[in-house]
Amino acid sequence: MTSASTPVAIAGWGQTGPLAEDLRSIPEMVLDAVQATLRNAAMGYEDIDAVVTASVDVFDGMTASNIAVTEVVGAVMKPETRIAADGLCAAIHAACQIRAGAYDTVLVVAHAKPSMSDFYELTKWALDPIFLQSLGIDFLTFAGLQAAAMAAEDKDAVERWAGLAACRLADASGDGKSPGSTEILQSALVTTPLREKMCAPLADGACACVLRRGDDSSPGRKEIRLSGLGHDLAANFIGDRELTESAGLERAAARAYADAGIKQPEDEIDVAEPSVAFAHEEELFVQSAGISDNTIISPHGGLFAGNVPIVAGLSRLTAAAEYLRRNNDLRAVAHGSWGPAGQGQAMVVLENAIP
Amino acid sequence: MRRAAIIGTGQTHHASKRDDVSQPELVREASARALLDAGIDAAAINAVVISSMELFEGRALPELWLGEAAYAAGKPCMKVATGGTSGTSACIAGYHQVASGMFDLVLVVGYEKHSEGNTQAGMAIVDPYWDRAVASGALGNFALSISQYMADTGVTEEQAARVAVKARRNAARNPYAHLQMADITVEKVLESRMLAHPIHMLDMCPQSDGACAIVIAAEKTANKFCDRPAWIEGAATRHQQPYIGDIERRLTTMETLRSAAKEVYAKAGISDPRRDLDVAEIYEPVTYAELAWYEALGFCGQGDAGRLIEEGVTEMDGELPVNPSGGVLSSNPVGASGVIRVAEAASQVLGRAGEHQVDGATTALATGYGVYAWADALVLRAMS
Repeated sequence: MTSASTPVAIAGWGQTGPLAEDLRSIPEMVLDAVQATLRNAAMGYEDIDAVVTASVDVFDGMTASNIAVTEVVGAVMKPETRIAADGLCAAIHAACQIRAGAYDTVLVVAHAKPSMSDFYELTKWALDPIFLQSLGIDFLTFAGLQAAAMAAEDKDAVERWAGLAACRLADASGDGKSPGSTEILQSALVTTPLREKMCAPLADGACACVLRRGDDSSPGRKEIRLSGLGHDLAANFIGDRELTESAGLERAAARAYADAGIKQPEDEIDVAEPSVAFAHEEELFVQSAGISDNTIISPHGGLFAGNVPIVAGLSRLTAAAEYLRRNNDLRAVAHGSWGPAGQGQAMVVLENAIP
Repeated sequence: MRRAAIIGTGQTHHASKRDDVSQPELVREASARALLDAGIDAAAINAVVISSMELFEGRALPELWLGEAAYAAGKPCMKVATGGTSGTSACIAGYHQVASGMFDLVLVVGYEKHSEGNTQAGMAIVDPYWDRAVASGALGNFALSISQYMADTGVTEEQAARVAVKARRNAARNPYAHLQMADITVEKVLESRMLAHPIHMLDMCPQSDGACAIVIAAEKTANKFCDRPAWIEGAATRHQQPYIGDIERRLTTMETLRSAAKEVYAKAGISDPRRDLDVAEIYEPVTYAELAWYEALGFCGQGDAGRLIEEGVTEMDGELPVNPSGGVLSSNPVGASGVIRVAEAASQVLGRAGEHQVDGATTALATGYGVYAWADALVLRAMS
């Protein structure tokens, strides 16, 4: 379904982290990211009509975890909506609010601090308590099951993923240095067949952006627009899903492409910022989102620079926006994923638009 | 904004313990009823919004587990969670998603199954630096604010008890309500156990297992499936300081609800809410809050709420019936409670409220309340 409605632009963005352990409190981290965002957008709190936050109570160890950030996101006496899912969903919802004409400017903020808990232990509480939770498995187990399913009839897969991880770690390092494939394959076995260095390291962080109504009244003024939005929730039970594919991402991408008028993604996307928390997921992304070799993927290493759950998808959106701002490329996609073996999927198409 | 309307609602039978169903089955019960009421198939739904408070059941990202029960598998789905306002905020989120042009039909489902968790423990898992050591759940913070409100306005325990009587008697006409007490009296409320002065047991909302769903449709679709849609005329949200001590005279001022109401009244062309509204479903977690909300919503002047309830203005046969369903005082599955307010307001406008239907209701207000002073407001109206 498409909507020939109000264009939505991204006016500014900022983040703090990713850091393996940020010693500050969550509100302090979020304040940092929000202030950076407002500076980047040349705006103040008074310019923001509404706020959409993303956080998960169990991960934060706090009921209504957006209470912790109400003041620092500037939501006192303002509309705030909290989406308990990946931050890219929060951005999609904020874009809907602008398209609907409800607000002109919406601040989107996501945060997570996995260093203060055992994150994967907490993910057990997201599993079906009747059939799955008692097995003691977590999201890491699901990633391993998915990778194992993909590797079952592909004897080169694990080595290939080691190469992919080496590439992303090098991009993320800033100096091009990274462990080689051999070292990656010799790193600790986390969950068969995934090795430690094939997994993006968990990190603390907060990320924010300001979305605003697109401006068609200033011809020639370049702005980065969110032209395609799509998200999806797949079946929960992994026995109901073909794990070697991501039908959920295919649906989310198809919705975003249709929204943006993209007919041939293999030719029309210049850069992709996928949420790849485990190396095998990049291949799933390429295959399911219809990305070709013509597309630059994760130019700065993506989540291998630090995987902040919940923040991940929003940080991909701002990374894609940053790329488009610095380059003259036309179109980028940002991707978010949450849940066991990527049950939840989100995709946003960004464009350098010149009205 | 693109127009959107509610064309169907569904809810479960709410009870202190629904051990006949799992959480997904609870969600399916309400969702299926909403689709039936709207006259649409699940396949027609374009997107789903779910609301619940995950720490009340000790679940993380529960939509992953029970999304399929809400017909969300293979569809866009996200969860909204903002404390007590979760349900109304989810309805507003669904409204914005339809109004954006992204979707024609959105199902909003709220649920809570308190019997499988510990709600008051969940409510005590708050800010670890300042609040957790003194966390007292809903009861403690309301006792504090109510004492202040009584001192400010002169509202009495008897007047508050009348709210409890109105709610539970109304609930006796609502087959889905948890607490149905046709024979409740002011004396019984005042004789009920004192929980935290001045709150008696019957002044307080229950904890219920339950779910509620609504179907929101874009204009053409709404007109296709419904001959009298409940059009959403306006929706507004306001959040407030996270620390109760930072909110000046919370119940007396309730700036968030005042501001949200002012916005939706302006959008809906309501200048005199007592005259222009036919019915209101407001989120009253405790009797005294309903009185305070009367003032914030402009149903009466500041300090006049006690007189309003005494004069019967908000009774079923009064000038402006408030909570014909029995309100939160009669059914309170937190993640669903806001959806229930919107669904009940919509049912009144749709003319489908059964024995608690307000005759000729055309314009309805629904509100949400959460955390210390977060507020949502929506106005629904049938086209004349």
